[in-house]
Amino acid sequence: MTVSTQLRRRTFLKGLGASMALPMLECMQPGLMLSAAAAAETATAAPVRMAFIFFPNGAIMPNWKPEGEGADYTLSHTLEPLKDFRGDFNVISGLAQDNGRAKGDGPGDHARCASTYLTGAHPVKTSGANIKVGISVDQMAAAEIGKKTRLPSLELGVDRGRNAGNCDSGYSCAYSSNVSWKTATTPMAKEINPRLAFERLFGVNQKDEKKRQRRELYRKSILDLVRADAQQLKNRLGATDRQKIDEYFTSVREIEQRIERSAAKRHEVPEFDIPEGMPRDQTEHIRLMYDLMVLAFQTDTTRVSTFMLANAGANRSYSMVGVKDGWHSLSHHRNDEKKMADITKIDRFLVEQFGYFLGKLKAIKEGEGTLLDNCMLMYGSGLSDANRHNHDDLPVLLAGKGGGTIQTGRHIKMDSETPLNNLFLSMLDRAGAKVDSIGDSKGRLAALDG
Amino acid sequence: MFRGTRRRTWSVFFLMSIHMHCKSCGFSFRVDARFAGRRGRCPLPECRHEFQIPARSRKDPVSSGVGENRLRSSVVATDDSQLTADQMREDHAEILPVTESGLPKRLYVAASALFGSLILLILAAVFLPERATEADAAEPPQSQQAAIYQKTIRPFLKKYCYECHGPKEETEGIAFHKFDDLPTVLASRKVWEKTLRQIEVAAMPPDDHEAQPTAAERKQVVAWLDKALFDIDCELVDDPGRVTIRRLNRTEYNNTIRDLVGVDFEPAKDFPSDDVGYGFDNIGDVLSLPTLLMEKYLDAAEQIAESAIIENIDAKSAQRFADGKLDRGRWPLGGDGFVGLNSSGEVSAKVEFRLDGEYLLRAEAKADQAGSELAKMRFALDGKPVKVFEIKGHRKPDVYEFKLQVVKGDHKFAAAFTNDYYNPKAKNPRERDRNLSIRFLEVQGPLDVTPDNLPATHRRIVIRRPDKDKSVRDCSIEIFRKFATRAFRRPATADELARLADLVEAAVERGDTFEQGVQIGVQAVLVSPHFLFRIENDNRPHDPAAKHNVGDYELATRLSYFLWSSMPDDKLFELADKGKLHQSDVLKAQVQRMLKDSRSKAALVENFGRQWLNLRNLADIKPDIARFPTFSEELRADMLTETDRFFTEIIREDRSMSDFLDAKYTFVNERLATHYGIDGVKGNEFRRVSLDGTPRAGVLTQASILMLTSDPTKTKPVLRGKWIMENILGTPPPEPPANVPPLEETAKANPDASLREQMALHRSNPTCASCHVTMDAIGFGFENFDAIGSWREKDGKHPIDPAGKLPSGETFKSPAELIEILSRRDRQFARCVAEKLLTYAIGRGLEFYDKCAVDKIVSNAARNDYRFSAFVVEIVNSRPFLMRRGDQGENE
Repeated sequence: MTVSTQLRRRTFLKGLGASMALPMLECMQPGLMLSAAAAAETATAAPVRMAFIFFPNGAIMPNWKPEGEGADYTLSHTLEPLKDFRGDFNVISGLAQDNGRAKGDGPGDHARCASTYLTGAHPVKTSGANIKVGISVDQMAAAEIGKKTRLPSLELGVDRGRNAGNCDSGYSCAYSSNVSWKTATTPMAKEINPRLAFERLFGVNQKDEKKRQRRELYRKSILDLVRADAQQLKNRLGATDRQKIDEYFTSVREIEQRIERSAAKRHEVPEFDIPEGMPRDQTEHIRLMYDLMVLAFQTDTTRVSTFMLANAGANRSYSMVGVKDGWHSLSHHRNDEKKMADITKIDRFLVEQFGYFLGKLKAIKEGEGTLLDNCMLMYGSGLSDANRHNHDDLPVLLAGKGGGTIQTGRHIKMDSETPLNNLFLSMLDRAGAKVDSIGDSKGRLAALDG
Repeated sequence: MFRGTRRRTWSVFFLMSIHMHCKSCGFSFRVDARFAGRRGRCPLPECRHEFQIPARSRKDPVSSGVGENRLRSSVVATDDSQLTADQMREDHAEILPVTESGLPKRLYVAASALFGSLILLILAAVFLPERATEADAAEPPQSQQAAIYQKTIRPFLKKYCYECHGPKEETEGIAFHKFDDLPTVLASRKVWEKTLRQIEVAAMPPDDHEAQPTAAERKQVVAWLDKALFDIDCELVDDPGRVTIRRLNRTEYNNTIRDLVGVDFEPAKDFPSDDVGYGFDNIGDVLSLPTLLMEKYLDAAEQIAESAIIENIDAKSAQRFADGKLDRGRWPLGGDGFVGLNSSGEVSAKVEFRLDGEYLLRAEAKADQAGSELAKMRFALDGKPVKVFEIKGHRKPDVYEFKLQVVKGDHKFAAAFTNDYYNPKAKNPRERDRNLSIRFLEVQGPLDVTPDNLPATHRRIVIRRPDKDKSVRDCSIEIFRKFATRAFRRPATADELARLADLVEAAVERGDTFEQGVQIGVQAVLVSPHFLFRIENDNRPHDPAAKHNVGDYELATRLSYFLWSSMPDDKLFELADKGKLHQSDVLKAQVQRMLKDSRSKAALVENFGRQWLNLRNLADIKPDIARFPTFSEELRADMLTETDRFFTEIIREDRSMSDFLDAKYTFVNERLATHYGIDGVKGNEFRRVSLDGTPRAGVLTQASILMLTSDPTKTKPVLRGKWIMENILGTPPPEPPANVPPLEETAKANPDASLREQMALHRSNPTCASCHVTMDAIGFGFENFDAIGSWREKDGKHPIDPAGKLPSGETFKSPAELIEILSRRDRQFARCVAEKLLTYAIGRGLEFYDKCAVDKIVSNAARNDYRFSAFVVEIVNSRPFLMRRGDQGENE
């Protein structure tokens, strides 16, 4: 890390921590231990935000899983960096994402790990034609509560998708590079450049109100025009082509709605100082992305976000913690102690960054609590033991009190093979985006209530 | 059936032919008299009507049994000296130009006009298989194939395969007992293609299976499967396939904007990655359009329009800098908007001067006068004084201006107070303090705009300005007729132009300049689906049987994106306009021309080459510096350059693609030469060097590939083997079983064993052996090259043993010998290249019916020593490239 980026970061963080508590959010009443449904409906409550953070290659589970159960549990070695926030999250064990399993499709567990993680659906095995998985939980939420904010959702990542060759055993790279799926066939591309993510959240040239108005006016007429183009075009296309034009429509419509909304409600652009290009330092990069999520939640620019700490099957090294081999190669550790120790270092490093995120959220006052209290942040992977490509007993944390509806500070042990999708249903309830089922869900995860 | 009868001269064919007239589409053609009485299909791809060929009657020109007509001197006139019977066979379906309505463009050429000799192209009809009554001994009918399945194949499967893939166990989901007959086999092609591969290479049944088939049995099954699956009659299976509309990917977007607008700032740099399918990022099915990308398209369009078009070429308008836009340093801003310069100092603004020319620099200023002289204000550009004004009056605001010639670009315009005066003791308070206050700076111009100093990007788009003779609307239509036509890669429709003109008019009515209006229109064009997607039309989009040539503009577009990753140029547009592109000689000439253009090298090397060889992933490999101290980012870049230069050379010199296997030359600079142990190369420049006397040859010993197939700390021989099988031999090994039996026992039992020994133990497990036998042999053959591609004799304390044996029986003792063996498989390699290049060219995965096209590409390329251009010409002339069909929806 260069000195100058360090300095820039600091300036930015100062702005974030101290001067940025927004009056609008300050005056909101905290929802104190309301029922899930009530929390969602109470208009005066601070909104519930949700984030889903993904790490790709599972974890060394013996080092991840805490001892004990309920409130009297002992943090594990890997989770130890979260000790300051022990009261702010739950460790949930025993969850499975069954559709990540082969089901006759052969290998490709990494592609399936990412693509089923939030969709709960079984991806169609294809290198290209007929890509299909399912709508992801964040997009289910965005479809409902996304209307209330400038951006329906925010998709972040650190690494670009692979852009050559195969990603995993006959699965298109779309399955490996995305966890968020707007429809069963349209993945939500992620933003990996912090500066561009910031501009996406808050826009550029905001200071010149006249210019902004002019731009929005013209954008609307441009979008009107191209929407008409697309409509005419659609009528003469085959079914597969129409799907592509539908994606176009959806995107156009969403941008139009956003323009409408932004006309109704202007945001202060936070004080922010951010490197122009891509941060070279990995830690820096991850933290910046977390910072942006904090910013997005704090300003209520969006209430839903996903963050991929790496793409499925990522083989990057983590030299900042002394791990020089590729993560994926290491993950097939065959119980080699040195390799397992290395992976544990990566696991712990990433947990530490998650802790950084929690720290930021906790430092921001919202109503009588903190911003963290009004969040539901799921941190996990679609694989547990990557050596064996297991899709059960997944490493999952859920941080934040969901607006006071989740009793935190516990290790919740579920029966094995409890669908991860049950947790998603419970999260959607709390976010005010109730759905009946996802994938193989078999009901809610009542244990969250306490 | 058809094949043996076709090799005859063109004239004989003509004499002995029957004139036909298709009842369904009205098309006239001739068929060889030999086929009288048989069944055939109309040769028009979009028709393919089936009919009976009547017996030949000399007196009465034969009719199709329905409508008769006179012999039209029909279809396409061509130069018969170039048209061999062979070519005709190969090309008959492709050379027919099709108008937008889908009907053939018929050139009614009077026979006499062509020097009295009747030169006609006769299209061969395509014949259907013989019906049962007319058995053709050479070709077993379906029923015979089906009988063999029951009689021979099923017993084979039962005996050798059912144990793991039968009623008891369905390993990998494969259960052979469920395939009752030939149709069920053909309905699960993929499974059976895999089965064929496994049986062919003796990978299945595994060695430990008690019953092992004899070589003859194996051969029989392979022959049957090969026939059932692939011996498709290329005249019957004539599916050209269908590509899903392709969104421009990032590279294509950048290149297209460069060629369309002339700006070259890579607007797509920050677009999200395009997902990859079938190894490439230009696959229609995989390219999606999430909202994030649409936002980026809007932003990019705005940026492009604003940088290409000068929005204000009227000298009247001015850029004004006041309040927040003024850099006033520490000087206070008063309630009246004036910045008070209480002692020497300045206000300034960074101004973009978009053109060379004469500008008016202006400031509104007022002064507190005191002392013996008037307050002075000095204008400076980039710190250089250009004018000093004396400010008149006391506290009387006025505007001061100065005309100046300015070179385009960003400049700092400053107005300074230069003669401060302060005398607090002066009796008259008005005489005590001299100050200057400035409210704004302003720049107006250029005052002398002429067509010459407008940037080329502007002149290219704004080809007309409104004046008393021409309205805003008319000018807009003229502008967008040209611009939108190029952007949409086909003539813009009147309706499209009208709507763009509406946009411009609305902007002008709102008070914007005409040029600003054009900017808005340009933005609309650049986010239109017609620009962002490469759209191809079908007359019957929902009918998979409706096969047809792609339109002329669509073909131009296919060509240009294949070879240039960009839009068609004027020449291609011109040929499309004239409807000539479907003529195979024209097409061939265009391919040769396009390959010579520098755009093709960049596009083919960086987009096709780097993706084919997976080198776009090279950046992700992070060698451990502790272990490989000679590695550096510069070296990584050099590795990529080497392979790029190598491929460029093959394209530029039109060399044989088999150079990839065994070329004894490469390109290095000093750093890479040192890495390879090659002496005498100095400096950073890359140059061609001979590899004679080195263990290296071809691409497989280039450091890029060797590092790509390694881990940060060590080589991955198995991965190397796999990489070669996938990307060079075109025989990707079957996928490993979902849960590979772990190597841990091996590792535990022999902690000190070399990887090679460990892998040998791994192969003692027959399930693993079936795939690893080839992968490992090839991979370990390259073990003399370490994880960053330098030569080594030892891996740690283990001496390297590169020797190996391929399942085919060939043995080798060194990488050089292995390369020698691999280079004998040039046809297999050619097939791999053809498949990859065709996938890239048509933007979809290959299907079984594409085999015919691939066969032909490979054979014809072989006749041309596998020259790169031969592959390209053959692909461009192939059915999947020239044609398409309607969509069969979900099952596509």
